[in-house]
Amino acid sequence: MTTTDPSARIIARGLRTSVAALAGLAVVYVLAIGFTPVEARQGVAQKIFYLHVPSAWCALLAFSLVGIGSALYLWLQDPRLDRFAAASAEVGVAFAAVMLTTGPIWAKPIWGTWWTWDARLTLTLFLFFLFVGYLALRASLHDPAERARFSAVVGILGMLLVPFIHLSVYLFRTLHPQPIVLKPSAPSLPPEMLRTLLVSTAVFTLLYIGLVTLRYGLAMAEEAREEAGDAA
Amino acid sequence: MPETLRLALAIAGKDIRAELRSRTALLSAIVFAALVLVVFNFARDPTALSAVDLAPSVLWVTFALAAMVALNRAFTIEREHGALDGLLLAPLPRSALFAGKLLANLAFVGTVEALTLPLFVLFFNVDLRAALPGIIGVTVLATVGFVSVGTIFSAMAVRTRFAELMLPVLLLPFMVPPLIGAVQVTARLLAGRPMSEMLGWLRLLALYDVVFVTLCTMVFPAVVDE
Amino acid sequence: MLPEPPANGGYMVAAYIVAPVILVGYLLSLWRRARKVLQGD
Repeated sequence: MTTTDPSARIIARGLRTSVAALAGLAVVYVLAIGFTPVEARQGVAQKIFYLHVPSAWCALLAFSLVGIGSALYLWLQDPRLDRFAAASAEVGVAFAAVMLTTGPIWAKPIWGTWWTWDARLTLTLFLFFLFVGYLALRASLHDPAERARFSAVVGILGMLLVPFIHLSVYLFRTLHPQPIVLKPSAPSLPPEMLRTLLVSTAVFTLLYIGLVTLRYGLAMAEEAREEAGDAA
Repeated sequence: MPETLRLALAIAGKDIRAELRSRTALLSAIVFAALVLVVFNFARDPTALSAVDLAPSVLWVTFALAAMVALNRAFTIEREHGALDGLLLAPLPRSALFAGKLLANLAFVGTVEALTLPLFVLFFNVDLRAALPGIIGVTVLATVGFVSVGTIFSAMAVRTRFAELMLPVLLLPFMVPPLIGAVQVTARLLAGRPMSEMLGWLRLLALYDVVFVTLCTMVFPAVVDE
Repeated sequence: MLPEPPANGGYMVAAYIVAPVILVGYLLSLWRRARKVLQGD
């Protein structure tokens, strides 16, 4: 099946990278649980931080790349950019979901409430909705060229919405300061905590790369399949 | 520039005249807004919160929902009559076409807002007299923001099967910054607060308008051209 | 001298389970789709 060969290679590479990243995640778990000190005031639950922050970073990375890919697509009209943006959006949803579940699980013991409208959670919630809207639009458009163009428009507009959400949340919160019982991220992290955080961030980023590669290859294979089906 | 403006006004005028002739979309949007206000009245506990505390939120949620209904209808009518295709064949600069659509949608949504406001005053017993110029100003600022993005998204949503659902899903995140700003400014206007307390929000609204009107003008060709 | 840190290990366990479930779950769904596309011919 020559038309699917390049996509099969990409899928295989994405799979390998993702599995490697998951192995790295296991290492992160060992590091976080066994070799990182417990935060005195927050207790063991603080260690959720080592999953929560990297997943937020990956969601934001995924989103930025959707935006950049969208802008480049409108400029260069290369369908590979559209395929990449769509892959990044789907993977972004997964990371946003991790962030939005670990966030409340962390917030409850630390801040006493499941949800807080703090800057990071609120922004990620918006990213989640923007991703979902982007993917919903794609799912309801069947002409590939139109789908690519329209998605790119949403991607670009979404990317520029982010600073406004930031600004709105900031202005809003300076009016309504939340009672902060404990500050979750200390201004200066002890070295072991910083090390674990950095390792975890690297692992999560590797996982992002693996998943996007896999998703991209899958899109290639599905498109080739559809073309072969049309030609038959 | 004047040429583009002239074209934009001509396009907007055509749309507005077409809507004035049939009036169905306008009337249904106004009725919708009135019903939303009624629902809000019964959805609150009158002993718990005073009308003035809730007023800005009620007003702006109503405006936001009505705008969405209005935007959807505007492009659906368009699609039914195939008018957009005719315009696209003409060698019109796309920026003029977008500006025309935007102005028509603003006139439409603005009319709905203008007719909803007296109803709001009536149902919620709010005294707007002192704050009225400010309210009009902030309404213009916020409406320009979400109607510009709404014009783009309704043009796209109309090509999907579930346009009525797709438009809110896409548009609501984009309505949040103008909405926050509008509610904050309206609340301060109603409370008679000094202008200095609103400047930050007004700047946010103005910046949003500048950025998104520009951006939407730039991406509009990608939405209407093959 | 220092107060005992709060006993909230249960939350940590919950989060450390939920996160990989989502990520591995997504990876598996991608893998299944890929297998279907590549071998379904």
